[in-house]
Amino acid sequence: MIKEKKSFVITKYSFVAVILVFVVFPLYYMITMSFRTQSSLYSKLSYLPVDIQSKNYIRAFHSTQFLRGLTNSLLIGVVTTLVALVFSIMAAYSLTILRYRGRDTLGRLMVIAFLTPGALLFIPLAALASTFHLSNSIKGLMAIYLSFTVPLGTYLLIGFFKNLVGELEEAARIDGATRLQALWFILLPLIAPGLVSVGILTFTAAWNELLYSLVINVSPEVRTLPVAILNLQAADETPLGLIMAYSSLAAIPVMFLYFFGQRFIVEGLQTGAVKG
Amino acid sequence: MSTSTVAIEKKKRGLFAGDNLFGYLMMTPAISVLLIFFAYPIFYEVSSSLTNKSVGQDGKWIGFANYAFLLKDPTFLKACLNTVIYVSITQMGKFILGLSVALLLQQKLRGRGLIRSLVLIPYAMPGFVAYLVWKLIYNPDVGALNIFLHQIGVLDQPISFVSDRTWAMPAVLLATIWKGFPFWTIMFLAALQSVPKELYEAAAVDGANAWHRFRHISIPGIRPIILVVFLLSTVNTINSFEAVWLLTGGGPADATLILPIFAYRSLSAFQIGQAAAAALILVPPVLIFVFFILRKMKKD
Repeated sequence: MIKEKKSFVITKYSFVAVILVFVVFPLYYMITMSFRTQSSLYSKLSYLPVDIQSKNYIRAFHSTQFLRGLTNSLLIGVVTTLVALVFSIMAAYSLTILRYRGRDTLGRLMVIAFLTPGALLFIPLAALASTFHLSNSIKGLMAIYLSFTVPLGTYLLIGFFKNLVGELEEAARIDGATRLQALWFILLPLIAPGLVSVGILTFTAAWNELLYSLVINVSPEVRTLPVAILNLQAADETPLGLIMAYSSLAAIPVMFLYFFGQRFIVEGLQTGAVKG
Repeated sequence: MSTSTVAIEKKKRGLFAGDNLFGYLMMTPAISVLLIFFAYPIFYEVSSSLTNKSVGQDGKWIGFANYAFLLKDPTFLKACLNTVIYVSITQMGKFILGLSVALLLQQKLRGRGLIRSLVLIPYAMPGFVAYLVWKLIYNPDVGALNIFLHQIGVLDQPISFVSDRTWAMPAVLLATIWKGFPFWTIMFLAALQSVPKELYEAAAVDGANAWHRFRHISIPGIRPIILVVFLLSTVNTINSFEAVWLLTGGGPADATLILPIFAYRSLSAFQIGQAAAAALILVPPVLIFVFFILRKMKKD
């Protein structure tokens, strides 16, 4: 082992300190401000936790707007994730384990879809939604979110399937299992980390989505949480502490999901990036 | 092994031969999604970009008039320039910060596991939340940045960072880099760990200094990952609507207007044909970029 010089150690830890402040401060600030009232924000200028109280949270949980946004976002997130998982498992399985004509072309199409900017498609998708009477509905967003969650899921799962040994499935089938049995009982348990990682990434992709829900879901009953939060911003006086309380409630569950699934997410991103 | 490989490699023809039918069946849901939400919209967008369609009116075929109009529109040209500035600077920032933090986290550190988790915070925080928090940080009346700069004596007068022509772009850039760099760090870190330790030790024995080890062992080792991350993150950034929309809305005086915001504004003005053309202009540069990176990756 190379012994480190004292000056190097000091530089190292000061750099760590700067990075940590930079990275953690917005989270700290969001939580602190969410516990302060509007008048306190303006009368006591500070980024420290002064005048702490829970009024904003009480208001949030009594607001139909907030609760509706929360339910809508949860519902859309869960349904989109489940459907996207099933579709991507099927597609990734087909694109890696099975062999048939045109497979590589289909695979390339999925990658192109994965790489296409969503900002490109919001105009026709809004028109499509209104043609099929899906604008201003939860179902419409669930369907449209498949347009980016299925390519994402397929892309990531292809990596995991490619990591499996090809003979495994054949061995299972020689033992008398059907293709679907082999997929369900042998392959899926083996790529469980991949499923967790795709699940988390898809759910958060749907949960965090802003542009489509801004364009397509305008009526108050079907608004998602991000849009409900944006609607708090008013021209005359924006309730800053309240927005931070809503934001904390929207962000913290998702962030816990990331921290618990950290290992799987990193593995998923790595596998997808390298093998895809 | 060899017999099974031969069996698989045998050419199968016809819909019912081998895996053909089952393979297509399993692809059906994903392909339907692509056809409905991807192929059809692109077709719709290309065709409506050639009309003067607006909400409630089907419009007439006007050829490339929308494109010609856009190319002469100073607001649109400004949006193009801003997009190039926004994407290139944020990507450079994310790369430099992402790589240096990854190299830092590779060092011997107390509480390294915890520090690594904390670095994930910006990545894990939903975008719409992150940019609302940054907007509050930049707030001229009560925001942390103004209070802090006043405390250390740099500022006498508060600055409204997001509505100041000089400061709006840097403010957006900083928030975007904050949100995006941890993804690069995670990927670089994982890639660096896959570089065999023996290589470093052997090089150290041969008298290579830290810079040489970095330049000739680390960088080649993580090159494939750098390309993939660069590709994914750049496409994401070109795509990014919410950072600018939430912080500045494209203002002040279009100082931070980027193409997705421009398209959104055209749509809000009910000019579907023009909005479609504005969105489609993003395609050729993205395609060229994707093609370029994919070719580099093939070479590796």
